[in-house]
This record gives sequence, C-alpha cells and structure tokens, in this order.
Amino acid sequence: MRSINSLSLFTCSLLTLGSWLGEYFSNDKILGRITLKSSKTKCLDTVFYKELSYLIVFSISLLVTSTVQARPYDDIIEAGNIRIAVYDNYPPFSYQSSEGEAKGIDVAIAKKIADAFGVELELIWMTAGETTDDDLRNYIWKGHIIHRVKADLMMRTPYDRVYSQKRDDVGLLVHELVHMFAPYHSETWKIVHEIERLPDVPTMSMFQYHPIGVENDSVPYFYLNSAFGGRFREQTSVYTSNDEAFSAMVEGEIDAVMGLRSQMSNLHAELDPDKYQLAENAFPMLGKQKWDIGLAVHNDYRALSYAAGDVITELVMTGGMQAIFDKYNTIYEKPAYYVTE
Amino acid sequence: MRITQLTKAIALSIAFSSGVALTATASVTDKDIKDDAATTDDVVSYGLGLQGQRYSPLAKVNKDTVEDLRPVWAFSFGGEKQRGQESQPLIKDGVMYVTASYSRVYAIDARTGEELWQYEARLPDGIMPCCDVINRGVALYDDLVIFGTLDAKLVALNKDTGKTVWKKKVENYKAGYAITSAPIVVDGKVITGISGGEFGIVGKVYAYDAKTGKEVWIRPTVEGHMGYIWKDGKKTENGISGGEAGQTWPAELWKSGGAATWLGGTYDASTNSLFFGTGNPAPWNSHMRPGDNLFSSSRVAIDPDTGKIKWHFQTTPHDGWDYDGVNELVSFDYEEDGKMVKAAATADRNGFFYVLNRENGEFIRGFPFVDEVSWASGLDKNGRPIYVEENRPGNPAAAEDGKKGEVVVARPSFLGGKNWMPMAYSKDTGYFYVPSNEWEMDIWNEPTSYKKGAAYLGAGFTIKSVADDHIGILRAIDPKTGKEVWRHNNFAPLWGGVLTTAGGLVWTGNPEGYLMAFDDKTGEVLYKFNTGSGIVGSPVTWEQDGEQFISVLSGWGGAVPLWGGEVAKRVKDFNQGGTVWTFKLPKRYESNNIAKN
Repeated sequence: MRSINSLSLFTCSLLTLGSWLGEYFSNDKILGRITLKSSKTKCLDTVFYKELSYLIVFSISLLVTSTVQARPYDDIIEAGNIRIAVYDNYPPFSYQSSEGEAKGIDVAIAKKIADAFGVELELIWMTAGETTDDDLRNYIWKGHIIHRVKADLMMRTPYDRVYSQKRDDVGLLVHELVHMFAPYHSETWKIVHEIERLPDVPTMSMFQYHPIGVENDSVPYFYLNSAFGGRFREQTSVYTSNDEAFSAMVEGEIDAVMGLRSQMSNLHAELDPDKYQLAENAFPMLGKQKWDIGLAVHNDYRALSYAAGDVITELVMTGGMQAIFDKYNTIYEKPAYYVTE
Repeated sequence: MRITQLTKAIALSIAFSSGVALTATASVTDKDIKDDAATTDDVVSYGLGLQGQRYSPLAKVNKDTVEDLRPVWAFSFGGEKQRGQESQPLIKDGVMYVTASYSRVYAIDARTGEELWQYEARLPDGIMPCCDVINRGVALYDDLVIFGTLDAKLVALNKDTGKTVWKKKVENYKAGYAITSAPIVVDGKVITGISGGEFGIVGKVYAYDAKTGKEVWIRPTVEGHMGYIWKDGKKTENGISGGEAGQTWPAELWKSGGAATWLGGTYDASTNSLFFGTGNPAPWNSHMRPGDNLFSSSRVAIDPDTGKIKWHFQTTPHDGWDYDGVNELVSFDYEEDGKMVKAAATADRNGFFYVLNRENGEFIRGFPFVDEVSWASGLDKNGRPIYVEENRPGNPAAAEDGKKGEVVVARPSFLGGKNWMPMAYSKDTGYFYVPSNEWEMDIWNEPTSYKKGAAYLGAGFTIKSVADDHIGILRAIDPKTGKEVWRHNNFAPLWGGVLTTAGGLVWTGNPEGYLMAFDDKTGEVLYKFNTGSGIVGSPVTWEQDGEQFISVLSGWGGAVPLWGGEVAKRVKDFNQGGTVWTFKLPKRYESNNIAKN
C-alpha cells in the first residue's frame, strides 16, 4: 500500500514538473494548461490525504527548480545555468547581430558572471517598459506578462540609494522585492559634434544657433526642449534612435548629437575622428548629471547577489571591466564605490 | 489522461457540429449594422448601434419584472489568463461573440452557454501594453468576426469555424503600439484606432475593406502628419492633418505628438461622420510644448468615405494632467425651441460634460459632471477651459537640482471623472447615465527615475479618494440643463459600461462584482446579483425565442489595480475572474406579459 502511494506520489510530481516545463516550452499554451490541470486533479484524487503534505513539499521543491522561477544561488549552480536579463536592441550594452549572435558590454559581463559560476548563460532579452520600474516588475519580481518567466539577475539597473529606497504614498518601499547592488560603471551625458560646422562647444549656448539631434523621450530631449526657457527648442531635432541622429549629422542636417556618454563614444568611434569630436561642455540645469549602473536580483536571493558582486568587484579592480568597455570603444568610468584613498 | 483529452475532443466536436448547424444562417450586412439600435433580436455593433447610445427598446424585463431575473448560464473563459474583462458581447442568430483578456475570442451558443469555438492570438513576448491585457470586443461583418490584438493586428475569423480568414498588421508592436478597442464596421469598411505609450507614437484612425483586410485610408490625429488613401490599390497622399505642421506645436514635437485613438470610435449615419477621441499629447511635460497641440485630447469627426477630418473639438488644449480625450461621443437628437438639434455628447476625463452640434462640432453647452474640478474654473462660450494656471503641474526645468518637484493636487485624477467605460442615453428619459469617479491626484516631477538604465525625468503621481464611502458614482445627467437628476454612490471606482432599456432600467456592474439594475428616473436599485468577480465590461440585452436576455462579463482588472497607493487598497481584495453571465426571466413571464398586454 505504502509503496503504491509513493509511486503515485512520484508520478504525480513528475507530471507536475512536466506540466511546468510544458507550459514554459510549449508555444501552444492551451495544451500546456490542460496537462497541468488534469494531472493535478488526478493526482490529488489518488493520493491519500496523509500523503498530501509530502506531495506539497515535493512539488514545491520541484517548483523552485523549475525553469520559470528566479532561483537561489545554490539552485543555479546545481541546475548548471543562469538566466540573466539584458535589454534587447540596446547597443553597445546588449544587442543581437543579424546572425543572431548576442553582443555588447552587458552581454560580456553576464558571460563573465556565468563563467565564474561555472554555469551556462541563458540570456533573457527584455523589451523595455516606460521606466525601469516596469522592467524590475516584469523580469525580477512578478514575471513577464505573457509567460511569467523571471530572470535570476538583471543587468543595467540603477545603483542609486534614493531610487532603491523610494517610498510610495502609504510609506512602503516601492522596490521592496528587489535588491540592487554591484555598480559596474558610471554613466553621464555627452555631445558629439561635427567640427567644420561647429568647431567647438564651450557651452550649451551654442545650441541657440546650431542644430542638434536627440533621441525621443530621453532626458536630453527634455533638456533641449525646455531648459533655459526653451531657448534650444527651435534648433532641436528629434529622432527615434541615436543611429538615426548620427546619420542626420553625417548628412549635414544637424551639427551635433546629445545622448548617453557610452552610446555617444561608441558611435563616435565609427566616425572619422578628424571630422567629429566628443565635446567637453557642462550641462547646467540638467537634473541628474551622473549615476551608477549595477545589477538587480529578487530580494530573497542575497547569496546570489554576494557571489555576483564578487565577480563584478574582481572585474572592476583588475581592469577586466575596462577591457570590456575598450573592446566596444566605449568610455569607461569606475563608480565612486570602488575608488579607494 | 489520454482518455480525458479524447473525451474532451469528442465533446468539443459534438458541440462544434451542433454549432455549425445552429449558425448556418445569414451573415451580417451593412443594413443589420445600421439598424442595430432598433432591432432587438441581435447586437451586431459595439454600443448597441453605431451612435453608441447603448439603449434597447426591449421592455419585457422592466421595473416590475426585474426582481425575478435569474442567471440562465455562465461561461468561463478558462485558463490562467484571468485579467480585466472589458468586452461587450455581440449576438447574432443565437451565437454570442465575445473577447477576453490576452486577445482571445469565443463563440458561444447564446441559448445554452456552450462553447462553439475559441481563438487565442499567439502574442509575442515583446508586447508592452500600458494598462492591462484587455480587449473590448469584436465587430461582425458578412461571415467574419473581426477584432484587434495586443500586438496591434486586426484579425478576421470565420464566424462558424473560428478559423483565420485575413490578418493585417496595423502597426508594429515593437514601436509601442497595441489594439484593445472594438473595431466598428461602416459601409463595408472596418475602422479601428490604436493604443500606444509614451514611445513617440502618433495616433491614427485606420479603415480597411472589411471582407479582405485591404487598406482603404489612414488618418493621423496629430497636426502635420500626412494622411493616405488607397486608390486602385495604390497608396496616395490624402492631405496633411490640420493643413500643415507647426501651428499648434513648437519645433519638432508634432513628430511624436501622441494623441492615440485607443478607445476606438462611434459613427452617425445622418451626418455620415465617424467620431474618434484622441489621447493626451506627448511628452507628458506640457512646458515643453507650448500651444494647443492639436488634435490631442480632442474629438475628431472624420468622413468615412474620404478619410478627411470634417471638424474637431478639443476638450483639453495644451493638456498637462494626462486628461485623454478618448471618451466616446454619443450622437442624440433633442428638441429645443421647437427645433430638432442634431447633438452629440461626451463626458470627458477632465471632469466636464460637453454637448456639441454633431454637424459642425460647435459647442452648445458644457458643465462639470463631477463634484469638483480643480484645474479649470469653467468653460468659456466656445467650450474652452478657463485654466487655473497654478494647478498646472510644474516645469521640471525649474527643479534643476534633482529634487522632487513641487506637488500639485489636481482633480479629477488622470484616470478621469469618467474613463473608458461607456455611458448610455435613454430616449425615454432624455438622460445620460454616466459611470463616473470622484478622485484627485498628487502630481510632481520625479527626477529619481530611470528608463533602460538611463536617468529619466518622469512624472510622479498618486491617486487619492476624496470620500471615505465612495469613489464611483453612477449619475443620471440631463444634457439640456446640466442637472444631475440622481446619483448612486459606489465604494470602489466604477469601471464598467452602462446599458439602458425601454423597460425603464439602467444596467451596470461594479468592481465588487454586482450586476445592478436601477430605476431610470429615480436611481433606486431594483436588482443586484454578484457575479463572483469584478465587472468592468459593458452589459448587453437582446431577444431570443420571445424572451429578453441580458449578458455581462465578470472579471476584475483594467487600469485601476495597476496604480498603487490608497485607491489600490480599496480594490486589492477583489478576486480575478473570466466569466460571461447571462440572465433572463422565468419562462412563464412570456405568456404572462402577453396576457397583460
């Protein structure tokens, strides 16, 4: 009797696991769901009530190791793979070549983390929401709206105490389910200009007279359209991407482009350095001048954050991080966190 | 398990073949759609008639009989995709066609509640809808069931089999577009709007040949963008919306102007006009875009034959509060000084109710339909708001030190005095029944914000209730006087559509789960039934085998639970669902009523 029960218990758990996997891998989600439902009902019918608690414990352990949940460090090591979320189509940080090869700075760092753990890297390509809050919800704590997959680790999250400790109107932490850690570089803004039409950018004042391009719905877009009473507005052209803005500069429609320093330096490296230059001007009245970028995990998985944090520290301190940025011709700045006396 | 599935398959095929037998009937014609408001044996358009009055001449269920109303069947959408169910069912020849969350469509035997077929759109991972994965319903035409998907496609299915007949990509979902509204069909053209977040999208209205899915015309709803019409299959320029760029927008901001047509539209045959509402202008920061920013937050009348704009009326020029102007414009006629006025009315997110001349868009009158409006002190003689400038959210450029900007308390909140949920108009009482909400918002510039790991300047906001015992109010409003005739308070915000009937009843549901029927003159609750999950869909009624049926979807969701804070606390215990509930009177009433008459 007992052995039969154990057998049915085992079968049920396998079915449960199977249906989880089924739902994750199946494109036709209806099939996955039907399997899950019927197997569960059938199992519960055949298992004695006393055994129910075993089933629950067993199922939970399977659930944790199944492929849809974020997992603790030990389970990642045991499973032999780690799921790291990177933004889709976001050069030079993370993007896919036309052959489908994963490229970029964040991809290279993710690979270093997986290698240090001795596990396979599985990339999750994120579609960005309106703000990073949406991405943390979709990829770290709640799961994707369609398939509910979560990542173990997310790249390119802000390392900003004010942001991570932000509270809502009833006093609760907005990001209480997320742990943000391991700053790996410092980001800021930068202008690239064509030196024949605009030889020098001593101050932003130049853009009352010289046309400048900017990516839509970014801080530079807000800045150029509203700062100083909107005095740059008439000279500002908006583009859906930095690539488009650079093409417009090369074609002579605009004299300069403003954007993220990483992206500006990376795109500038593809142009003739005798014709295009990175400006050194300041950005007065621009809210956030500089910020750090790090990693995020679900708040339950601190051990994973310590292990990944060690990998980042090692990379930053031994020059490995600098080398990755160099490979992509992108300016690297070490976060203040690592600067020692 | 194998046996279970086989049984299920057999059961399905039996249901299916009986379904085919059941639906081997006439297809939906232009005439059916034009007459929809007057015919009682079907519902073949969103709004129970393209004017969107949501009035039925049915009276068997009335003030006397409604207490005996009872559910006759309930149909579960199944699966784990239990999110907001904002759809309005359509019924033709004993078959109900209804959509569910995650772009699903169901054909159901309207007598028994048995499923005939189900279609589930295969959605790509990359979709990013702003406000829940909802859908508001299908359009019927010929033997097609047409609906829009979260990845911004129009899909036409065969009404008997559920198989795809044509599919059209309206826009690229990767650019931030989606479709959640119900399309409408006018003279063989299927017409849809588009949703999109703050990704620099431009609102448009699209017309396709309903039978083939071929493009007919596209009309952008932002000044400066070229419209197109297809002549003999060739895409040709059809005039720039608003004539030229740069009249009401500074610099190049018109290029990414917003004004999404996310709620779809209505149509009036007597003026041959489509009426589409438009969303807020982009970007959110109004200080970046001095000017009226046409045609954002407006109602736009479009000629369905030419795709040209006939007139527009802007409810919130230079919007700074996220007061989308998408709410439905409902055509209605009324008599004044012995003359019939061809009017149209809309209850805007901004808290004002507008009565317009639908022939030319002229303002007839307007008044607040909510208890308090903070951002404007009233409307001028042309219907333009008289702004309270200090109630406009501040300029982020003024808060340059990266600190939280000044907090402005504005009322209504950006979810509006009324949101998407459609109101109803009764020919009998002459009143509009408006599902509204009383709430305000704190709004400020939020410099501690990020987008793709880049610093970002967002708007921070919190929605707050203003009374302890209610947010939602169902109001009966007289469009001739602006008077509120009666009101019914509801604890949670109202988020479902309204229906009214010749039986003297007003129908709506609430997030608490109740389907409710009110006396259309007094607002007294004459019937309520709890459907088990919140109601955020729109009820319909039709006649079948001599009996009057009423259907509504149950399934809590939509935009309200997505915003945190105090309002979320009121609704956090409401459970999700996904069920069509259908009601009628016991059979004996049929003969009783005949006897009475």
